[in-house]
Amino acid sequence: MRVLRFTFAERAVHWMTAISFLYAALTGLALWSPSLLWISSFFGGGEAVRRWHPWGGVSFAVALGLIFRNWSKDMRLDSEDRKWLSQAHRYAVNDESGLPEAGRFNAGQKVLFWTQSVAALLLFASGVALFWPEHMPRGLRLAAVLVHPSAAIVSIAGILIHIYMGIAAVPGALRGMVSGWVTEPWARAHHPRWYRESVKR
Amino acid sequence: MIVAKLIDTTSCIGCKACEAACQEWNDQGLTAGMAKSDDGTYQTLPSLRHDFWNLIKFKEVTREDGSFTWLMSKYQCMHCVDAGCLEACPAPGAIFRRENGIVDFDHDKCIGCGYCITGCPFDVPKLSPVTQKVYKCTLCSDRTSVGLEPACIKACPTNCLTFGARDDLVRLADARAESLRADGHATAGVYNPAGVGGTNVLYVLADATRPEDYGLPRDPTIPWQVRLWKGPLKWVGNAVLVGGVVGAFLHYLRYGPKEVEE
Repeated sequence: MRVLRFTFAERAVHWMTAISFLYAALTGLALWSPSLLWISSFFGGGEAVRRWHPWGGVSFAVALGLIFRNWSKDMRLDSEDRKWLSQAHRYAVNDESGLPEAGRFNAGQKVLFWTQSVAALLLFASGVALFWPEHMPRGLRLAAVLVHPSAAIVSIAGILIHIYMGIAAVPGALRGMVSGWVTEPWARAHHPRWYRESVKR
Repeated sequence: MIVAKLIDTTSCIGCKACEAACQEWNDQGLTAGMAKSDDGTYQTLPSLRHDFWNLIKFKEVTREDGSFTWLMSKYQCMHCVDAGCLEACPAPGAIFRRENGIVDFDHDKCIGCGYCITGCPFDVPKLSPVTQKVYKCTLCSDRTSVGLEPACIKACPTNCLTFGARDDLVRLADARAESLRADGHATAGVYNPAGVGGTNVLYVLADATRPEDYGLPRDPTIPWQVRLWKGPLKWVGNAVLVGGVVGAFLHYLRYGPKEVEE
């Protein structure tokens, strides 16, 4: 038995975000340090990266905004989630007995969602300050050279975990985000409350 | 040999020969808006531009005792020993220090990000809206490399500008300040700000206690934000990135995937 986990619209927006993120993160790394500018050679060189990285960021922000519209209601943290988070170390070592049952998204996914949302706001605001070096007040730019990479580090750290879980740690998750479908046992195991309340009925 | 330029503001007459020589040598000409300023000053432009690297600042200053002075001083890249532009630049080789101390830009390598503009405490580098690259005074590295003095020095009619070995010029600057003090300018001194490790452009000021009267920042430094960004924050970022990838791999080896019985 298969269960529809993500609609076409949800998947399309997710992958728009993912591709924008990968572009913005890799080109951002190229601008992070002189010893990493070589990355820009995969993206048309340093000038092209300086020109297009900001627009990759805009695309990421817009796509994340659409994700926000789709999912922000499902992402609210409740008391069960807080209990889950206090025992997240058990989830990390695959000992999930006694963890509160996850709904459509587990508490870890919800934290990722809010982390990325806040990071994206900070990245966007500081990115605007860096975009026009000659027209933005110097104090803003000096704040931005700290805020932009700091938010990027947090964002990239979160996505590293997200990618690891999606492609390796949770078999079946990637298929859910590509085809939209997951198996019934998968849904029951990873998102029991969601399975019970929304799918089974 | 480290070279330097000495600007003795007490003998600047504001003739702008250095501005004209700079424009001419660097093939930049005069463009609309440069020839005439309508803000009631003699100053050619409010600030440096991507196509205008040498500006005499005209400042009208009323002292506390009511006396009035009209100060003129040439403004350009200071060729800092500890250069904020260089610290902030992400493109290897785009900003570099020559053996003779000149801080120079390589426009083939410049990517136009403008980080140098943020790193510079003197507001010197300027972005060209046409080429999207950053420009500033080169201390005429194309002249000094073949034994010529910079164009501004060549044009100065009053010996206000001197070019030579930095050590010699530091001594000369001290001597001039000393003679100014002997002449009754008790606060005369040399502007060679320690916050950027000293500069390869030195000033003799009749009142060194008030550099801002000449349009010079009081205590220029590389901003702590730039130092933090290019120092500790970089290592935090690198550690997170490498640690994340290695950590995920080790986690997979140790705990494996969350399999579900079908």
